[in-house]
Amino acid sequence: MSLNRRLFLKSGVAAAALAAIPRPLYAQFDGAPEPLPPIEDPRLASLAARALDAARGAGATYADVRLTHTRTRRFFPLFTYDDEDMEVGVRALLDGYWGFASGPVWSPDEMARLGREAVHQAKTNALGKPRLVTLAPAPVVKNGSWTMPVQIDPFEISPFEVQDHLASLDIFTRRTPNVGLTKNVAQSTMQEKAFASTSGSYCTQRSYLTMGDLVVGVYLPKTKQQTDLALDCVSAAGLGWELYAAPTLPRVRVHSLRDEILLRLEEAKQDAMLPVKALDVGRFDAVLDDSSMAGLLDGTIGHATELDRAMGFEANAGGTSYINDPIGMLGTYQAGAPLLSVSANRSEAGGAATTKWDDEGVAPDDFPLVKDGMLVDFQTTRESASWLSDAYARHHAPVRSHGCASAPSGVDAPMQHVPNLALAPGREASDFDGLVSGMTDGIAIKRASLDMDFQNGSGLGLGSVFEVKKGKRVARYPSAGFLFRSTELWKSLLSISNAAQLRRIGFDAQKGEPPQTCYHSVTAAPAVVKQLTLIDPLRKA
Amino acid sequence: MSGRGDRLIRLADDARILSQGDCEAIAKRVFAFASGPGETIVNVMSWWNGELRWARNRTTLASDRRDIRLEIWRDVGVGRGNVSTNQLDDVSLQDAVRAAERSASLAPMVRRPTPTHPPLPDPERPKTAIWSDATYAVTPESRGEAARALIAPAEAKGMQSAGYLEMRAGSRARLSSVRMGTTTPAPWDVPYTAWTQAQCSMTVRDAEGSGSGWAGLSSYDWSHIDAAALAARALDKCVASQHPVTLEPGRYTVILEPQAVCELVSIIATSMYRETPEFGIGPWVLGRDDVLGLWRTKLGLKVLDERITISHDPADPLLGIFPEPWMEPLTWFDKGVLTNLSFLRDYALEKLNVNAPRRGLTGYRMSGGQTSVEEMISSTTRGLLISHFSNIRLLDATSLLSTGLTRDGLWLIEHGKISKSVKNLRFTESPLFAFNSIEQMGVPVPVFRPVKNPYTQEEPLTPAIVPPIKSRDFSFTSTIDAI
Repeated sequence: MSLNRRLFLKSGVAAAALAAIPRPLYAQFDGAPEPLPPIEDPRLASLAARALDAARGAGATYADVRLTHTRTRRFFPLFTYDDEDMEVGVRALLDGYWGFASGPVWSPDEMARLGREAVHQAKTNALGKPRLVTLAPAPVVKNGSWTMPVQIDPFEISPFEVQDHLASLDIFTRRTPNVGLTKNVAQSTMQEKAFASTSGSYCTQRSYLTMGDLVVGVYLPKTKQQTDLALDCVSAAGLGWELYAAPTLPRVRVHSLRDEILLRLEEAKQDAMLPVKALDVGRFDAVLDDSSMAGLLDGTIGHATELDRAMGFEANAGGTSYINDPIGMLGTYQAGAPLLSVSANRSEAGGAATTKWDDEGVAPDDFPLVKDGMLVDFQTTRESASWLSDAYARHHAPVRSHGCASAPSGVDAPMQHVPNLALAPGREASDFDGLVSGMTDGIAIKRASLDMDFQNGSGLGLGSVFEVKKGKRVARYPSAGFLFRSTELWKSLLSISNAAQLRRIGFDAQKGEPPQTCYHSVTAAPAVVKQLTLIDPLRKA
Repeated sequence: MSGRGDRLIRLADDARILSQGDCEAIAKRVFAFASGPGETIVNVMSWWNGELRWARNRTTLASDRRDIRLEIWRDVGVGRGNVSTNQLDDVSLQDAVRAAERSASLAPMVRRPTPTHPPLPDPERPKTAIWSDATYAVTPESRGEAARALIAPAEAKGMQSAGYLEMRAGSRARLSSVRMGTTTPAPWDVPYTAWTQAQCSMTVRDAEGSGSGWAGLSSYDWSHIDAAALAARALDKCVASQHPVTLEPGRYTVILEPQAVCELVSIIATSMYRETPEFGIGPWVLGRDDVLGLWRTKLGLKVLDERITISHDPADPLLGIFPEPWMEPLTWFDKGVLTNLSFLRDYALEKLNVNAPRRGLTGYRMSGGQTSVEEMISSTTRGLLISHFSNIRLLDATSLLSTGLTRDGLWLIEHGKISKSVKNLRFTESPLFAFNSIEQMGVPVPVFRPVKNPYTQEEPLTPAIVPPIKSRDFSFTSTIDAI
C-alpha cells in the first residue's frame, strides 16, 4: 500500500483502477460464484428464465422477474462512500392476485425458490373472492439493450476528482465574507437491470441518477442569523457528473455552477434590499417563477393523475385524488384554463424518470395528461390501463400502458410512479422579471414550497413573496403564504412564458406501503395567475 | 474453486433472518480476510418482510422479501475504509475486505477516536421486549385470512376498504476483530439483536368518496393487535363521517383521540435537544442572561399542563424500545415540568463531565386521566371530535406553531352529542398551546407508530402510549375539500 493520493491523481490508468475498486459482487450461474458480468451477459437471461419457469410451473398465468445491480457512490468533500447491491424480485399473477418474492442472491436455485414463493403468495389470496386483472397488451421486447447516455460516467472518473470539485466549490463560496456551504454532498447511482416476463420479453438497461444537496449559507452578523439558499440546479437528474461539471446544461442551468452560486447570492442580496412590508391579506394577481410552477404542477396534476391513486389504491397511504372519477372525468373534466397543457414522458434526456423500458417491459410513450385545459389521460401501468378501457373506447383511444411502472430496485415490487412531467410553454417572450414588469399591481412569488392535502386538491404555499407595483418588485413580505385550490389555480392561469424560459427540476416522491421513493423531473416556465389568496401562515384563527 | 458455493448464505424459510451463529461466523470469515494489522469492524444486518396490501376490498399484493446488508470498516495505518455489500460468499467477502483496505489507504474516512476520559459508563444495554414469536410465526396463509376477515365487514356494507398488514423481523450484530470474544465489548459494538415488528392499518371509504375512516395499530407483537377491532372502528368512522357539512374555521374546543394527541406530541419530540436552547434557539429558551453571558433554558420550569407526564422505560413490555447502551428510564416532562433534554457526547464531555450522550425521546408513555371520550363529548357544549391529523408541518421553531390537516373523521359536537360530520379543516396551532389548555384527559392506549427499519439510517418512529385529550381554543384556519 505505498500508493498515495497524489500518485493516483497523476495517473489516469490508476484513477480508472480506483474508480473500479469496490465491486465485490458475484453471481452464480451454475454452482461456483464468479465476478458479476455486465448486465448484457446472455447467461443472465437463462438465470431469469429459471424464475419464470418456476413461477409458470407453480401455476402463474403471468410472471416477471427483475435482476438489479445498483451501485451508489456518495461524495463528500473529504471522502467517498460506496454501496453496492444485487437484488432479484419475482412477481406472479394467479387468478387475478399478485404475489411477489425478492432476495439478494443471484443463483439458479434461488431464482426457482423466488418463482415458487411469488406464486405461493398470490395463491394465499386467490382463495378469496374473485378479482379480475387484465394486462393491457404490450409489444414483446426481444433481447433489448439500452444504456442511458451520460457525458461523464461518475463511476469511471476518480472519486478524488469529484471530492476536489466539491471542496473547490466550498473554497470558492468562502471567498465572500460570511458565506459558506451549509450542505455540500453529491450522489450518483448506476443501476443495471435485467427484465424478463412470461410474455416473452427480455431486456437489459443501464441507467444513471445523479443529485446533489448544495446549500449556500449566508451569515448575517448583525442579527446573528443565517439564511440558507438551496440551489435546485443540482436536483435529481438522469445525468452523470456533468450535472456539476458541465459549463451549461440545457433547461437546468445557463451558467457554470460557480456562476450560479454567485448569481444566487446576488439575487438574495437584491431581494434583501427591498423594504419589508406588513402583509396585506387578500387576493392578488401573481407572477410565479419556474421553480414554483414546477412544484405546483407536481403537487397538483402530477400526483392527482396517478391512476392507482385516483382509483383509491393509495387511500391508506398518501391519499386519493381530487380527480375522483377517472372514467367519467377523462375527456370531460376541465382541469385548467385552455392555456394549460401538461404532458408526461420517460424519454426526455436528463429526466430523472427517464428509461427505455419500464418495470413491466413496456416502452413508455410521451402522452398528454391535460390538453388545452381538458383532462385527457392518466399515468398507467399494464394493469391499470385496462381500468380505463371504457373511457378509452369512448374516445377511440387504444388501451395501452404508458409505461409508468417502476421501483427503486429488484427487492421492491413494481408499482406506478410519476413519470417526467412537462408544462407546454406559452407565448410570453419574457422571463420572471419580464412578467413582473408587465404587471401593474400584484405579487410575485419565488421558490414556493408546498403543503398539499391528501387529495392534492388544495394546498398551502410558502416562499419568497414580493409586492409588485407598476412593473417593479417594491417590497417583500417576510411572512407570507398562499392558499389555493388546484383546479381554481390552473383555471386562473393568465399567461405562461415561452419555451426559452423552460426549466427542469428533479423531484422525489414517496408512495405505497411499504413506502418506495422514486424520482422524476418536472419542466415548467414562469407564469402569471390571477387572484391568488395571500395569507399570513403564522396567524392563528 | 469448488466448494465456494457452499458458503452461499440464503435466508431460508425456516430461518428468514441470520442467527447469532451466522453473524459471528460471517464476522470471523471477514476478519480472516484482513491482509494486515488494524481493526476490522463488520455490521451484519438481515431482514424479512411479510406484507399484504389491499384496496377496493381485494388484496392487491402479497409479498415476501428478504435482504442482507454487510458493512465493513478496515483500518489501514491511520485511515479507515468503508464499503457495503449484500453478498456473503467467500469470494465476495474477500473482495469486499480488499476494497475497504484500498479505500482506507486512498480515500480514508475522517476518524475521530472516541474520548475515554472521563471513563465510559457501563455499556450494558437494557433488556427490552422487541422479539415476538407470534409475529415471526405469521404465515402468508394466515395473513391472507386475516386480510379477508378485515375486508369483509366493510364490503358487506358496500364500502371500500384499503389497508396494509406487515410482519417483519430483522437482526443485527456489529462486531470488532479486536473485541469479539472478549468480555469487554465497547459501547459501539452491537451484540446480536433480533427484533420483530407488526402493523395493521386500514382506511374505509364509501363508494362516492363522501366519508372516510381510518384505524391502525403497531407493535413488536402481532398478538397485541386486535385487528378485528380496528376493522370495526375504521368502518364505524367511515359510516359516521359520510356527507360532511362545511364548518367555519375558527377556535374550537377539541376532543383529540389518542392518535391525534400522539401526532401533536411528535412535534414536541423533534425539539427535545439540550444544545439548541443554549444557543438561543428553539422552544426551550427562557431568555438571555447578560450577566453570565449565556442563554437560560426552561429546564425545571413548568411548560405543559400539570397533568402531563411523559416518560420512557426501556423495560416497558408494551413499548418495545430498541436497546441502546446508556439507556435508562427517564422522565421528559414531570407533571408539566420540563425535566430532561437529550444531548450528544460532545455536550456531555464539555458541560457535564460525563462520557456518554443521552438519547432522545424513543418511545414514551404519556399520563392521562379517567375521562372516557364519550364523557368528554357529553360534557361539551360545542366542539370538534378529531380522529387524527395528516401532513403536519412546523412553521415556527420557537413557538412550535405548526400547520396540518384533520383526516379520516371530524365531527361537530353540540350540546353533549355528536351532531354532524364536518369537512376537514387546516389547523394552525402549537402543541404547547394545546397541551396548556387541557380540560380533560382519558386513559392512555397504544397508538399507530410503526418502527421503520431501526437499523438503517431512517429516523425510527417510536412506539407510544397516549391518552385522549379535551383541549380549549384550538385554532383552525381554513376549510379543505379533501376527504
